[in-house]
Amino acid sequence: MTPAIRTKNLTKYFGDFTAVNGISFEAKRGEIFGFLGPNGSGKTTTIRMMLGLLTPSVGEVQALGISVSGNQAELQQRTGYMSQRFSLYNDLTVQQNLQFYGAAYGLNNVDLKARILDALSMAGLEGREDAKTKDLSGGWRQRLALSAAILHRPELIFLDEPTAGVDPISRRAFWDLLYQLVADGVTVFVTTHYMDEAEHCHNLAFIQRGNLIAEGPPADIKAKMMKGQVLEISSSDAINTVKILRAAKEQGKVSLQEIELYGSLVHVVAPDVEKEKNTIQKLLKNEEIHVEEMALIEASLEDVFIASMK
Amino acid sequence: MSLRHIWAITRKEFNHIIRDRSTLILVVLTPLATLLLMAYALTVELQHIPIAVLDYDRSATSRNFVQQIVSGDDLDLYAQVSSIEEIENLLMHGDVKAALVIDPNFSRDLLAMRGMPMQIIIDGTEPESGGFAVNHIASRAEEFANEALSSQMQMMGFSTDSLKPLDLRIRTWYNPGLKPRNDLIPGLISMVLGFPALSVALALAHEREHGTMEQLMATPVGRAELLIGKMIPYIVAGLINVVMLPLLAMAWFDVPFNGSFPLFFGLSAIFMFAVLSMGIIIGVFMKTQAAAMGVSFLMIFFPGFFLTGIFFPIVSMPEIMRLESLGMPGTHYAIIIRGIFLPGVGMEILWPYAVMLILLGFSFTGIASLFFRKKLG
Repeated sequence: MTPAIRTKNLTKYFGDFTAVNGISFEAKRGEIFGFLGPNGSGKTTTIRMMLGLLTPSVGEVQALGISVSGNQAELQQRTGYMSQRFSLYNDLTVQQNLQFYGAAYGLNNVDLKARILDALSMAGLEGREDAKTKDLSGGWRQRLALSAAILHRPELIFLDEPTAGVDPISRRAFWDLLYQLVADGVTVFVTTHYMDEAEHCHNLAFIQRGNLIAEGPPADIKAKMMKGQVLEISSSDAINTVKILRAAKEQGKVSLQEIELYGSLVHVVAPDVEKEKNTIQKLLKNEEIHVEEMALIEASLEDVFIASMK
Repeated sequence: MSLRHIWAITRKEFNHIIRDRSTLILVVLTPLATLLLMAYALTVELQHIPIAVLDYDRSATSRNFVQQIVSGDDLDLYAQVSSIEEIENLLMHGDVKAALVIDPNFSRDLLAMRGMPMQIIIDGTEPESGGFAVNHIASRAEEFANEALSSQMQMMGFSTDSLKPLDLRIRTWYNPGLKPRNDLIPGLISMVLGFPALSVALALAHEREHGTMEQLMATPVGRAELLIGKMIPYIVAGLINVVMLPLLAMAWFDVPFNGSFPLFFGLSAIFMFAVLSMGIIIGVFMKTQAAAMGVSFLMIFFPGFFLTGIFFPIVSMPEIMRLESLGMPGTHYAIIIRGIFLPGVGMEILWPYAVMLILLGFSFTGIASLFFRKKLG
């Protein structure tokens, strides 16, 4: 079977600015493909080219085995899209939004009725058909937007930062819906900058300033991109720990690649981090910071992400 | 072209209009309110203009003349004064709009058939009222002179029958009595019926501003389907006014409606299509509602007011503006609506204007969907 998405040397210029620079990757059918990158790295531009909303300057995109350019009408019927900005009409009710998107995708009234019921139960909005969309909380709205985007049973769905600004419990509920879709054979292409979400994808592509810098399953990416080991430090003053270690790094007193704050913890990265343990201990002791624990941990995607952004 | 797609957009737009009271008011009530307001503001008939009289003659004839001038509703005698300074004072305070100064030789010259020496002073800052006073006094003076002349000749034993060389009988067709409202109100209706063009421009810009346009573009709804679907609810809203406004004109302003109503309705529907297409073009080009609003005023309302011949005759415009007025649907519709209201003419006369409206409508929607790319950037 052809891949769900295949891009070849996909490039987009806006005047002198290169938004997307010759990226090539594939997403297999029936997987959740995560597209990662900081803000402004070209994620949305790439999605728009995949949907045919933007024409690539160079290169091409194939979706569901056919070229996007020239087959937009067919692909629009077979794919779904949830745009980054809120894609529903706030002033309309839940029912009216679903009705509209169903009809826009050409569903007849009989099918539409049944599918609206499915969508309501999927989004957990039974009995709230007449609620105005703007009165729903963020999590409900995102679930409603997703169920509106899949009313016409697309084979491939594009989600552009679907959980931005949504609380963790709602995010989890949203991802549960994505797993259901994948179980039904739908391919999900999702952009996110939540690293915990990225860990849940089958395959990832990292994009930075328009360039594809890594691609593969999360574990492979970590192995390939993380050049050092991660040491997690639990201390009496995490903020000053970061300051002191960074200052020491500047002065060449300790050889660390990354020093980052993780909540109340500090992660430091070095090729052989065990060797630096004593130095770190000493430096912090001099500043009267008490080290409670120092442990070698497995790198998370966030460590990789930050390391790769430098 | 899929009816299901068009209906999806149309129904959604109806839902928006029903939810959002301000759009509903803008679409249905604004034309009505504007018509009422402008009909009253623009047809103030000049009456009871206050004037001052300075009579240096002080004869029975001059008193008689003044009496004739201020009898009736046109001019009111505000004050008899005795000096030019007083007149100046009254004019400065705005108490009078004009003053009549009668020469000491008024009655003597009149009886000697040497003329009627007098002077009219008007307030140039209000030329309307002043001009009205001048015309009124001049026509009364003529009558007065004729009468004086004929009585003089009768006294001298002449027959006065031969004295009327001109027998002018003016007949005003279609609008007997030349009531200005009978002409103005149909013109105003043609103008206010164009208001929904703004709403449709705003509705399109709204989708862009709120990011829902991108979502719409990813659906299989085509660009022409989207534009037509957007237009339909505003055509329907406009047609409500097409029925209501003539009823109001007839019931409230006593404007006669002599033509065929079905014809009026049909041609009005074509006009709605043409004028809303202008709104569609603006909605397609403007990215924000504020910009759409500004451009609508600049491109639809101001030309609709000045160029369509409702207030200012097109024949007296410079060539380039006459050309521009041909591109305004309102120009053709104003002719249609006036033709149907007053002389009550039918298709045999109105067809060229109907054809123009159809041409304009299709060219505008054509241009709009050509430039409305289903792409971003």
